Amino acid sequence: MPSLVTFDRATLGYGRRAVLTEISFDIPEGDFLGLVGPNGAGKTTILRALLGSLTPLSGTVSRAPTLRFGYVPQRDQVDYNFPLKVLDVVMMGRYDRIGLGRRPTENDRRRAHKALEHVGIDRLADHPLADLSGGQKQRTLIARALVGEPNVLVLDEPTNGMDLVATTQILGLVRELHDRDGLTVLMVSHALNEVANYVERIALVVEGGFRIGTTDEIMTEEALSQMYGIPVEVDSFAGHRIVVARRAGAEPVTDHV
Amino acid sequence: MFSTVLLFREALYGALVIALACSVLGVYVVLRRIVFVGAALAQISSAGVALALWLAGAGIALGAIGRPTVVSLLLTLVAVLFFAGGTRGRVPPDATIGVTYAVAAAVGIILIAKAASGEAHDIFLSGNILGITRSDTLVLLAVAVPVLAFHLVFYKELLFVSFDRETARTLGYNVRRWDLLLYLTLGVVIASAMQFAGVMLVFNFLVLPAVTGLLLSHSMRGVFFWSVASALVAACAGFSLSVPFDLPSGPAISAASGVLVLLAWAGRRIIARS
Repeated sequence: MPSLVTFDRATLGYGRRAVLTEISFDIPEGDFLGLVGPNGAGKTTILRALLGSLTPLSGTVSRAPTLRFGYVPQRDQVDYNFPLKVLDVVMMGRYDRIGLGRRPTENDRRRAHKALEHVGIDRLADHPLADLSGGQKQRTLIARALVGEPNVLVLDEPTNGMDLVATTQILGLVRELHDRDGLTVLMVSHALNEVANYVERIALVVEGGFRIGTTDEIMTEEALSQMYGIPVEVDSFAGHRIVVARRAGAEPVTDHV
Repeated sequence: MFSTVLLFREALYGALVIALACSVLGVYVVLRRIVFVGAALAQISSAGVALALWLAGAGIALGAIGRPTVVSLLLTLVAVLFFAGGTRGRVPPDATIGVTYAVAAAVGIILIAKAASGEAHDIFLSGNILGITRSDTLVLLAVAVPVLAFHLVFYKELLFVSFDRETARTLGYNVRRWDLLLYLTLGVVIASAMQFAGVMLVFNFLVLPAVTGLLLSHSMRGVFFWSVASALVAACAGFSLSVPFDLPSGPAISAASGVLVLLAWAGRRIIARS
């Protein structure tokens, strides 16, 4: 598969301070990659370099000419005080295609409805965004990303602050978009246990360290213990992998490692 | 009463132009939570007027540079560049705005006190709606029409970068440039309106009508409509009552805006309960 994004010995950071040193990986077409690590480890730094809003201190980040991101921000990054209807928000995903100073056409409206249908909430098109549940808001933001017809869907902490049901539904939806539409997906999350059971590859970022591989390669006790610097167990339950951090003198506990 | 108001109709037209321009921009000011940037810009603009008067009184400034409008506009635009660039570092942004506001207010008062014609021109700081002439209204229109046209044409761009700047950035929008353009329109309107309306009334028009709009509507179009409508109604009502009852026009219009906010709030409560 051709590569859509390539990080080649890229050192990323702010000012003179390097957060991640000489990382190399690529995102091939059709990939389903989870970028996982604790808060503050450098996930956002990689994300910003990927999206082009951060220039590497050294090395390169190259993007395919046809690349178009569909970006789903963290939910709290959006201001819900704006009196916007769901359809208005979805339409924003087409603003750059519509052009400067031009108004959305009937075609744009139709595509926005189609995107909402795709994520299962077309019935909410005329509802105020602020009135929706967390899961519905996330679906709206995913629909907005899809309406721009991207070839890479990038989701930043898509399940943050969601309950178990909404989390499962959103991750299921993302998986479906990948499987059904063949969409390349990059999902950024701090919750390894959530992401590991949906993605095909994992890029793990922990305190300046970076490791990437298939889910099978990364979800091993050896790899995770080495990355996190604590003894880790990987158990399996009903077909789901669960990462368990072992504390000295205590029974294993499931944690957001 | 009507004939008395008619006597000052030129002033009323000017007040309506200020109300219209400020109430449109005010929707962004309130939604983007930069209410105090609006207040600080108005205060800086008034300090610019004071500086021009002091320079003229001291015989330092000559020609266009010495005109209150020009000095006020220049100073406001410098402040716009500062605020649009965003503040970084250890001092929180709202504290930076507070410092700017306080310093601008103090400098303005000091300069006016020391200006040769200070007392006579004190009216520039508190506003003088009744003093608006036809040519003033034309100047206000010359500023307001292009600004409003800009906002109409680039509505979706200004909305997008205000609502979700990160996503706008990923779609290729130069968010900083759009911020700057929004702030520039704000600065130009504030600087031109401030000399006639005064700091308090400009601040009122930037905030209260937009709040009324947000209370009355669930759509952007509705918010703009109610914001503009309430600003125009407040300007007419406040002005009409101030002339026959010999009340200061600016505070009377501000009070009318306040009443409209209260009515909108009460109406919303009643609808929510029914």
